[in-house]
Amino acid sequence: MMIDADLPLWLATLIALCLLVGAALSLTGSIGLLRLKTFFERIHSPTLATSYGTAGVVLASILYFSALQSRLVVHELLIGLFVTLTTPVTLMVLARAVLHRDRYGDKTRAPGDERRSTTKR
Amino acid sequence: MTAATSLITLIALPFLGSVIAAFLPSNARNREAWVAGALALGALAIVISLHSAVADGGVVRLQLPWVPLLGLEFSLRMDGFAWMFALLITGIGFLVVLYARYYMSPEDPVPRFFSFLLAFMGAMLGVVLSGNLIQLAFFWELTSLFSFLLIGYWHHTGAARDGARMALIITGTGGLALLGGILVLGHIVGSYELDVVLAAGDAIRAHPLYLPALLLILLGAFTKSAQFPFQFWLPDAMAAPTPVSAYLHSATMVKAGVFLLARLWPVLSGTQEWFWLVTAAGLSTLVLGAYLAMFQQDLKGLLAYSTISHLGLITLLLGMNTPIAAVAGIFHIMNHATFKASLFMAAGIIDHETGTRDMRRLRGLRKALPITATLAIVASAAMAGVPLMNGFLSKEMFYTEALHTTTPFPLLGELLTYAAVVWGIFSVIYSLRFIHGVFFGPPADDLPREPHEPPRWMRFPIELLVLACLLVGVIPGRTIEPYLHTAVQGVLGEATPEYSLAVWHGFTLPLMMSLGAMFGGIALYATLRRFLLNRVDGPPLVRLVGRRIFERTLVFLSWRLARPLEARLFTWRLQRQLLIMVVVTLLVATAVLWGTDFSLPPIDWSAISPGLALVWLAGMACAIGAAYMAKFHRLAALILLGGAGLATCVTFVWFSAPDLALTQLMVEIATTVLLLLGLRWLPRRIKDARSTVRERSRRLRDLVIACVAGGGLGGLAFLVMTRPLPDSIARFFVERAYSEGGGTNIVNVILVDFRGFDTFGEITVLGIVALTVYALLRRFRPAPESIQRPKQQRLAAAHDDAHAARPRGDSIPQHMLVPSVIMRLMFPAAGALAIYLFLRGHNMPGGGFVGGLTLAIAIILQYMTGGTRWFEARWRINAVRWIALGLLCAAATGLGSWLFGHPFLTSHTRYIEIPLLGALPFASALLFDVGVFLLVVGATALLLLALAHQSIRSHRGQGVPAPTVSRKEKS
Repeated sequence: MMIDADLPLWLATLIALCLLVGAALSLTGSIGLLRLKTFFERIHSPTLATSYGTAGVVLASILYFSALQSRLVVHELLIGLFVTLTTPVTLMVLARAVLHRDRYGDKTRAPGDERRSTTKR
Repeated sequence: MTAATSLITLIALPFLGSVIAAFLPSNARNREAWVAGALALGALAIVISLHSAVADGGVVRLQLPWVPLLGLEFSLRMDGFAWMFALLITGIGFLVVLYARYYMSPEDPVPRFFSFLLAFMGAMLGVVLSGNLIQLAFFWELTSLFSFLLIGYWHHTGAARDGARMALIITGTGGLALLGGILVLGHIVGSYELDVVLAAGDAIRAHPLYLPALLLILLGAFTKSAQFPFQFWLPDAMAAPTPVSAYLHSATMVKAGVFLLARLWPVLSGTQEWFWLVTAAGLSTLVLGAYLAMFQQDLKGLLAYSTISHLGLITLLLGMNTPIAAVAGIFHIMNHATFKASLFMAAGIIDHETGTRDMRRLRGLRKALPITATLAIVASAAMAGVPLMNGFLSKEMFYTEALHTTTPFPLLGELLTYAAVVWGIFSVIYSLRFIHGVFFGPPADDLPREPHEPPRWMRFPIELLVLACLLVGVIPGRTIEPYLHTAVQGVLGEATPEYSLAVWHGFTLPLMMSLGAMFGGIALYATLRRFLLNRVDGPPLVRLVGRRIFERTLVFLSWRLARPLEARLFTWRLQRQLLIMVVVTLLVATAVLWGTDFSLPPIDWSAISPGLALVWLAGMACAIGAAYMAKFHRLAALILLGGAGLATCVTFVWFSAPDLALTQLMVEIATTVLLLLGLRWLPRRIKDARSTVRERSRRLRDLVIACVAGGGLGGLAFLVMTRPLPDSIARFFVERAYSEGGGTNIVNVILVDFRGFDTFGEITVLGIVALTVYALLRRFRPAPESIQRPKQQRLAAAHDDAHAARPRGDSIPQHMLVPSVIMRLMFPAAGALAIYLFLRGHNMPGGGFVGGLTLAIAIILQYMTGGTRWFEARWRINAVRWIALGLLCAAATGLGSWLFGHPFLTSHTRYIEIPLLGALPFASALLFDVGVFLLVVGATALLLLALAHQSIRSHRGQGVPAPTVSRKEKS
C-alpha cells in the first residue's frame, strides 16, 4: 500500500500504535486459544481479538483513511458493530454444544455439576 | 409487407398461436378456437396473398443470418410447390380447427390440443418452406414430435400411448436417416441450400455416394409417408382424436414424405436405383394398403389403410421417372388431401353422433344424418375415382402412365397395369363398404347413442372440401389448373411437360380400365359383402410381420439387450463411478499430453512473499487435513475444507481480485452450511476393527490415483500459469469495459455484457442444478441408521416430556433464543449489504451473483437460528418462482435489445436523473443482473429448502417407527 508522504509523523505514530495494540491483543488471544487447558477457559481468549483487538485495528483504519481522504471515514465502525454483535452468537452456540456433550456425553461432566470439570482436549 | 417478411410471419404465426393457446384456461373452448382459427386464417390469407409472387415459376426467399461465421442461415424459400403445400397446411388447418371446436368435448383439456395443433402447423410450414436442408430436417423432426404429442393427446388410453410411441419411433428414426442422407447430399454438393442442391442434379446422380444418400433419404420419406414396409404405424396412430387424423394423416404429416420425394425429384430421380426403389415401395404399398383397407371393421382403420394406399400411389407416380407422372403425383397430393380430410371428418361425426366406429354395428345412417351422408358419399366417390370427381382425374393420369411407362422389363409394365386395375377394384370395394355399409340398409337400433345431424359449423369444413372435390372434378380447367401449374413449375421448372386436365379424353384404354375396375369392384362387393361384414378385424391371406418385428426389436433393445449391458457396464456405487471417471480422464489427458514439452521457466524464489507463502502453507495443510479427516471425522474435514477455501480467498485479495475474493467467500459460506446440513444424512461409517489386506491395497490404489490425478491437475494449472500469456482477448475487455459496457468493474461488465450469453447459460445451469437437487431430495430415503432424529433432539424432547410444564419441542428454541434474536437483528443489515453489493456491481466489486449469494446466506442464517418452522411461518420463499423470475428477467433484458435493432443481450448505458440521488449511471445490463440476483437467491434457497425440509418430514424406513412428533407437527 502506498504510504502518503503528507501524513504527519504524530498521526502516523498514533495509527501505528493503534494497529499494534490491536494486533498484539489478537495475537494474545490466539496464543491463549492454543495454550489454555479446558474448553471453558479457551472460549474466552478469542474475545480479546474480537473486542479490543478489532477496536484497535478499526480505529487505526478510521484515522488513516480519514487523513488520507481528508474527510471523516467511519465505515469501519460497522465492522466493529457487526463483529461485536455476532461473536457472542458463535461462542454461545459453541458453548451450548459443549454443554450438551458434557451433560450427555460418555466421560465428562459440565461445570456446575457436583464433580469437578475435567473437560480437556 | 413484402413477400419475404410475410414468409417469416407465416412461420411465426402458428408458433405464436401455440404459445397463446397454451396459456388460456382449460375450459375456454371458444376462446381457444377463436385464437387458433384466427391465426390459421391469417396464415391462410398470407399464403393466398403470396400466390402472385410464386406464379410463373417465381421464388420468394428470405435469409436471416443465424451463425454467419459457420455459414448457417435461417433460410426460407417458397416456390409454387411449397406454396401449394402451404395452402393445404393452412387451409385444411383452419377447417380442422373449426371442426375441432365442435368435436372436442368440454371435458378435454383443449389448450393442450390447440397448442399442439398450431405448433404442428408451424413445424409443417417449416418443412415445406425451408430453404436449407438441415433446417428442413429440423422441422421434420419437430413434426414427428408434435404428432407424437397429438396422437397421444388422450394419453389415459393405452392405445393412444402405444400409437404415439410407435409413430414417434418410426418417424423419428426415419428423420435421423434423412438427416444422414442430407449430410451426404450436402457433402456431395458442398452446400445445404436448397437452391444450390436443386441446381446440382447431374453432379449428384453421377457421384459414387449417390446411392447411400438416396437410401437414407428414402428411408426418411418412406417412414414418414407410411410406405411399405413401414406402413404399420399409421393405423395405430388412429388412436388420435379425429381432427388430428384429418389433419395429420390426410394433408400434412404423412404428406411430408412425398413432399420430400417431389422436392428432391429433379435431383434424385432419373436413375435406375430411384426407379426400382421408389416404384417397388409405391407399388407394394398401393396394392397392400387397398387390400388391407377392405378388411377393416373400424371406420378410421379403413381410412388409414386407404391413406396408405393413396400415398403408395403418389410414391409410385413419383418413382416412374417421367415428368408427366410427377405431375400426376403432385395433382394427387392435392386431391387426396381434400377428399381424405373430409372423409376423416365425416368419420369423426359418425363416431361423435353414434358413439361407435365399428362398421359391423353401423347401418342405415342415411335417415338420421342425411347431409353428412351425402357429403361422405361424394367424398368416397372421389376416393374411389368415380368420374366427375377430382380423384378420377388423377387416377386417369395414373392409368395412362401405367400403360405408357417404359421399363427395361416389359413384364414389369404389364404387372403395373394389372396392379393398377386391381388397386382400382379394391378402392371401389372399400369405398363401397364405407358408403353402403354405413349409410344404407335398415337403420341400426343398437347404437350407443341416437344419432342427429351435427351443428352447422361442424359440417361446414366437410361441405367446403367436398365442394372443392366436385368443382375440381367437373371443371378442372377453371379451378385447379393454374394452381397445379404453379406447383408443378416449382418442382419441374423448365422440364414442365404438356398435360391436360380434361374430364373427357374419349373412349381411351385408361377410361376402359377405370370403368372395368368400377364395375368389377361393385360386383365383387356385392358378392363379398356378408363375408367382409362378419369377419373379425384383420385381413385373410396376408400376415404382416412389420409390427411384430418392430415390437420384438423394441423389447430386445429396451430389455433383453439393456439388462445385461446394465449389469456388466454399470455400477450403482458412487466410489466406483468416480474411480472410472477419474481414471478415464487421467488416461485421456496422458494420451493427449504425451510428449509435450514440460520445461519450466526459471522460478524467481525471491519474488514469493513470505506472508502469502504462510497463507498457502496453512491452506495446503487444511486441504490435506480435510482429505485425511474425511474418512474419520466428517465435521472436522468440513471445517478444514473451509480453511482451505479461505486461503484461496486471501490469495485472490492478495493478487487484487476483489470480485473473486468476495464471491469465493460467499460460496465458501454457503457450501459449508449446506454440506453441514447434508452431513446428518450421510450413512454412518462402518467401523472395522482391522482391515484386511485387500482393503488396504484398495485404499492404497485409491490414494495413488487421487495423488496422480490431483498432482497432475495442479501441475497442469501451474504450467499454464507460468507460461507467458499470448496476446489474449483480455486487453480488449480492459479497453472496452467502460467505453462500451459502461462499467469500470471489468469482471462484472464481462459477466453481464460482453459474455452475457455465457452467463445466461450458466444461470440456467444453476437453476437446473437446484431443481435437480430438489427433485432428488424429494424422494430421498436416508440410510436406516440416520432416519432416527439426532440424539440432541431426542434428548431435548425427553427433557421436555419429563417436565410437565414444557410442551414438547420447547427447549430447543429456548436454547437458541439469544442467537436467533441477534440474527434477526442482523437480517436487515445483511439484506442491505446484499442490495448494496448488487447495485454497485457494475463499477465496483460486487454484482448480481455475490449479492444473491449474500441474501441467500442471510436467509440460511435465519433458518439455522430460528428453525425451519419459525422462518416459514413468517416468510415462505417460493424458490422455484424466484428461479423462474430470474431467468425470465435475464431473458427479457436480452430480448429487449432486439426491440432496438441490436443483437441479443446488447447493453445500453446512460445516466438517469433520480430525485434526491442525482444523476446515476444506469446500464440495461443491470436488469440482466437483477435476473442473476433473483436466480442465485432462488437456487440457493431451493437447495436449502430441500435440505431443511428433510429434517421436518417423517421418513419411512424399515423397522423404525416414525417419530410421533413429526406426525403431530405435520398436521
